Amino acid sequence: MKATHCFYQDGEHKWVAIVRDPARPECLIDTNEYLVVHNGAGLLMDPGGAEVFPAVFSALSAEFDPGALAGLFASHQDPDIISSLALWLEFNPRLPCYVSWLWASFIPHFGGSAETFVAIPDEGMEINLNGLTLQAVPAHYLHSSGNFHLYDAKARVFFSGDVGAALLPPKSDPLFVENFDAHIRHAEAFHRRWMGSNEAKRAWCERVSRLSIDMLCPQHGAIYQGADVERFINWFDGLRVGIAAG
Amino acid sequence: MPVPSAGRDLARIVSINEEIKSIVAVAFKINIMALNAIFLAKRAGTTALGFGVLSNELRVFSQDLKTAMGGLSGVIHKAVTEVSVLLQDQRTLRLLQQAEAQSGGHARVREALRLRLEKMERHQLSLATQRRQLRQVLDNVAQLVELGGVLAKSAKIEAAYGQGFSASLGQVSGEFDGVVEEIRRSLGNLNKSEFFARR
Repeated sequence: MKATHCFYQDGEHKWVAIVRDPARPECLIDTNEYLVVHNGAGLLMDPGGAEVFPAVFSALSAEFDPGALAGLFASHQDPDIISSLALWLEFNPRLPCYVSWLWASFIPHFGGSAETFVAIPDEGMEINLNGLTLQAVPAHYLHSSGNFHLYDAKARVFFSGDVGAALLPPKSDPLFVENFDAHIRHAEAFHRRWMGSNEAKRAWCERVSRLSIDMLCPQHGAIYQGADVERFINWFDGLRVGIAAG
Repeated sequence: MPVPSAGRDLARIVSINEEIKSIVAVAFKINIMALNAIFLAKRAGTTALGFGVLSNELRVFSQDLKTAMGGLSGVIHKAVTEVSVLLQDQRTLRLLQQAEAQSGGHARVREALRLRLEKMERHQLSLATQRRQLRQVLDNVAQLVELGGVLAKSAKIEAAYGQGFSASLGQVSGEFDGVVEEIRRSLGNLNKSEFFARR
C-alpha cells in the first residue's frame, strides 16, 4: 500500500501526497498522486495507472472518503497518469475528469463517456473546488502537446506533472528534495529527453516564476520546497531540452 | 469468487473461428468442383444423368454450407465481443478485489464490487447463450454435412455407371468424398473445443 503524507493543512484545506508503493512491481514507474481537499471535497491529480489503482485507492481511503471526490485532474494522457479512470468511475460514474481539450477524445479509450470530461482550453481555466479556486496552468509540450499543471494560490502549492520529475534510486527516495544538487542529477536526463521544446520550457519558466510557490510537486520523485523551487525553475530554464542521443 | 479465465475462452473462440474459415474455404472448393462436375456430366450425356443431378445437389449443398457457416461466423462474432467484455470485467474485478483487501473492506469498494459482479454475471449469462447458439448451429451444420456425405457417396455410385467417363467421374466423386470428409474432421475439431466444455 502507498503512503499518504499531508504536507499542507490550513483548517479544511489540505494537500496530501500519495507516494511510494513498496509492493509496486519494478516494471511500473513509480508515481506520485496528489489530493487537494477543501471543505470536504477532494480533487485527485494524476490518479495513476490501472495497475496501481488498488494501492492508490487504499491509501486515499485511509485519509479521505473516496465518495467525497469531486473530480479528477489529468495533466495529460499518459497511461501512468489516467489509465485508472474506468476504476474511479466504478465508484462514481458522474465523476468529472479535467483534461486538455486535446485529449478529451483520446482518454475515453481508458473509460468514461462524453459527460465525464471537462475539456480545458489551451489558455487554461479556473477549477472551483467547493469554494477554493484552482488554476489550470498551461504547460504544453512539457512533455505532452496538451499539458496542464495545477496551481493553488491559497496554499502556494503547484502541481507540476512531469516537470520536476526525477527517477530516484530505490531506498533513496525522500518525499522532499533534501540536497538539490544531488537530486537534480536524477532529473536531468529525464527532462532533456521528455521535454520537447526549449521555447515551451522558456514560456513555462516565465509563467511559473511569476507565481508565489512554496512547494512544487512533480508526478515522479520528490517535492521541491522553499528556495529549491526557484532553484529548480532556474535550472530548468538553463537546460537544453528536446534532445535524444543517437 | 473464483474468476474464470475469459482469456482462455478468447483463444478458444479464435481457434474455432479459424476452423470455420477453413470450412468456408472448403465449401467454396466444393462449389467449383460441382460446377466442373456438371460440365463433365453434360459431356458424358445420358450415361451421367444421375451424376449430373447429384453434382447440382452438391452445388446447392456447398451454398447451404456457406450460408450456415456465415451464420456461425455471426454467432462467433457476438461471442468474441462478449468474451472481450468479460476480460475487461475480470481485470476490473481483480483490481477492485485488491482495493477491497488493501482498504480493509471499504464500503464503497464493496458496493462497486457488488455492482461489477452483477454486470459480470449478466455478461456470463449472455456468453452462455452464445455458446448454446453456437452449439445449435454446429449441430445443424453437422446434419447438413451428413447430407453432403450421402450425396458424395451416391455420386461415387453413379460414376460407376458412367461407361467411358466412369474413370473421370470416379475421380471427381472421390474428390467430393474427400472434401466432405475434410469438413467432417473440422466439425469434429470444433465439437471437441474446450469452449463448449465450460459451464
